[in-house]
Amino acid sequence: MLDSLVAGFDRAAAFLACALVVALLGCVTLGVITRAVGEPLIWTDELSRFLMVWIAVFGWILACRKRIHVRIRYFQDLLPARAHNGVEFCMQLALTLFGILVTWYSVGLVGKNHDLEATSLPISMSWMYVPMVLAGLVSALQGAREVGESLRRHRQLRATAATARGADAK
Amino acid sequence: MTQLMIEIVAVWLAAILIGLPLFAAMGLAAFAFVLLGGLSGSIVPQKMAQAMNSFPLVAAPLFVLMGNILGAAQLTDRIVRFATSLVGALRGGYAHASILSSMIFAGMVGSAVADAAGTGAVEVRAMKKAGYRPETAAAISAAAATIGPIIPPSLPMVIYGVSADVSIGRLFLAGVVPGVLMGVSLMIMVAIIAPRQGLPRHKFGGLCAIWVAFKDSIWALLAPVILLGGMFSGAFTPTEAAAVADLYALFLGFVVYRTLKVKDLPAILINTAETTGIVMVLVMVAGALGWCMSISRIPQTLAPAMVAAIHEPLVFLLVSNVILLVIGCFMEALAALLILIPILVPAAISFGIDPVQFGLIMIFNLILGTIHPPIGVVLFVMSRIAEVTFEQISRAILPWLVPLLLVLAAITVWPPLTLWLPGVVMGGK
Repeated sequence: MLDSLVAGFDRAAAFLACALVVALLGCVTLGVITRAVGEPLIWTDELSRFLMVWIAVFGWILACRKRIHVRIRYFQDLLPARAHNGVEFCMQLALTLFGILVTWYSVGLVGKNHDLEATSLPISMSWMYVPMVLAGLVSALQGAREVGESLRRHRQLRATAATARGADAK
Repeated sequence: MTQLMIEIVAVWLAAILIGLPLFAAMGLAAFAFVLLGGLSGSIVPQKMAQAMNSFPLVAAPLFVLMGNILGAAQLTDRIVRFATSLVGALRGGYAHASILSSMIFAGMVGSAVADAAGTGAVEVRAMKKAGYRPETAAAISAAAATIGPIIPPSLPMVIYGVSADVSIGRLFLAGVVPGVLMGVSLMIMVAIIAPRQGLPRHKFGGLCAIWVAFKDSIWALLAPVILLGGMFSGAFTPTEAAAVADLYALFLGFVVYRTLKVKDLPAILINTAETTGIVMVLVMVAGALGWCMSISRIPQTLAPAMVAAIHEPLVFLLVSNVILLVIGCFMEALAALLILIPILVPAAISFGIDPVQFGLIMIFNLILGTIHPPIGVVLFVMSRIAEVTFEQISRAILPWLVPLLLVLAAITVWPPLTLWLPGVVMGGK
């Protein structure tokens, strides 16, 4: 059930990201065309900037789900298995904390900017901060899930070590 | 607040080195600063979103999209064939062709990884088939791929331009001469190494073969002409030029060469969004952290301290080169760029160094880190393509760093190499 929900979310996020990239390309092109024909639209630049925020944040979500964000693993990979897993546990806990902080304060920002209207678009400025709430939430949940995996790995490593000690004793 | 920021930066650097994702480390450092400094935590997400609220930055995903479309449309094969027809008859012809292809492809994509992934597979396959050692082939392609972000368009230049408030058009023009010099210096290196390693020649097919290869690739070769011509003629801004170039790349893939299928589009778009997300989340948190640094007055403190301690602009540039080269070896290029811009650029300006020249120097140094162990992402990409170990390619790349370091030294000591072309095309500041 949970797995199918996660898969559904991934598909929806990927679809939305694709749609946003197409919309950005369309919006900038529209700006070029209307300027070329001497009838420039005033809202294309601002809409492009809104779309840019959304694409960046949805890209952040996709990269988070695929665990492909930039990190330096060189020194961590030098550590023995248990220390490596311990560091991973702390890192994922920190990621969870970051996600929670982003979500918490972005919700506040959405509320604060609700009444503020964009310069050339008839929409609220809070739409700029809405995707941040989702990205923070995904980062926090992803981090929490990885924390759980680290704990499972820790138990496995302990069991393996205990088995090895038992074999040595025999 | 300066003391607080220094303590936070120390913890943050330690967190980065032990493996915390860079964006989370930078974001947590920003949160720690505002919360411990008694400020509102909502400043951090606000500055993050504001960092993206920039029209010049819109060029970044559009350049990424163009690279992905060109890659999926398999235009690189045609470009490599054309380059081989031109320089393949020289000794080490495939190595020369690899470098020339990367220079042409650099005019279409804006990152070293995209250049390596785009042309690398075709180049390495051809070189291996001609009897080159796989690690030599991979090292040549990796070194040539560093031209990608120097010849415009360039993703690091867009990010530097937005972050340091420098004209992206000027930065793009400033990269042309150094990019050509990189290609020429690598070709000279091939000419020196080829007889010693017995690198073979490719049979010269005559002017007719060059004409056929040119005709076959002419539409692809026009892509950088449209992109850069549109931009520098004043017809488009860099962002608009990127959009036009995207449409042109789609036209080539769907209509002219018919190598692109509708079913390829979702993968292209998702890849674009992911790459944008990986890079832009760093720009977002760097926006928040940069604000924290300016509030804590670290750049304002460091810049005069550097001026007082170093005195000479040239010494400052040499010290910056060493710092950037070392950092580039251990940190992802764009992240390092974002972290160091608020610290080094004000100091460079205090020394009277043009921020355009300094931007090129910063980007060049950090890009060299992508072909240098232990982090070298381009080396990882090429080692997978050439099916050699990371250790093998790490050793093989060393001689190819020499010509690139010589070009870096040249652009450091002689500003006209970077500033002459922007001055000619765009006039004074």
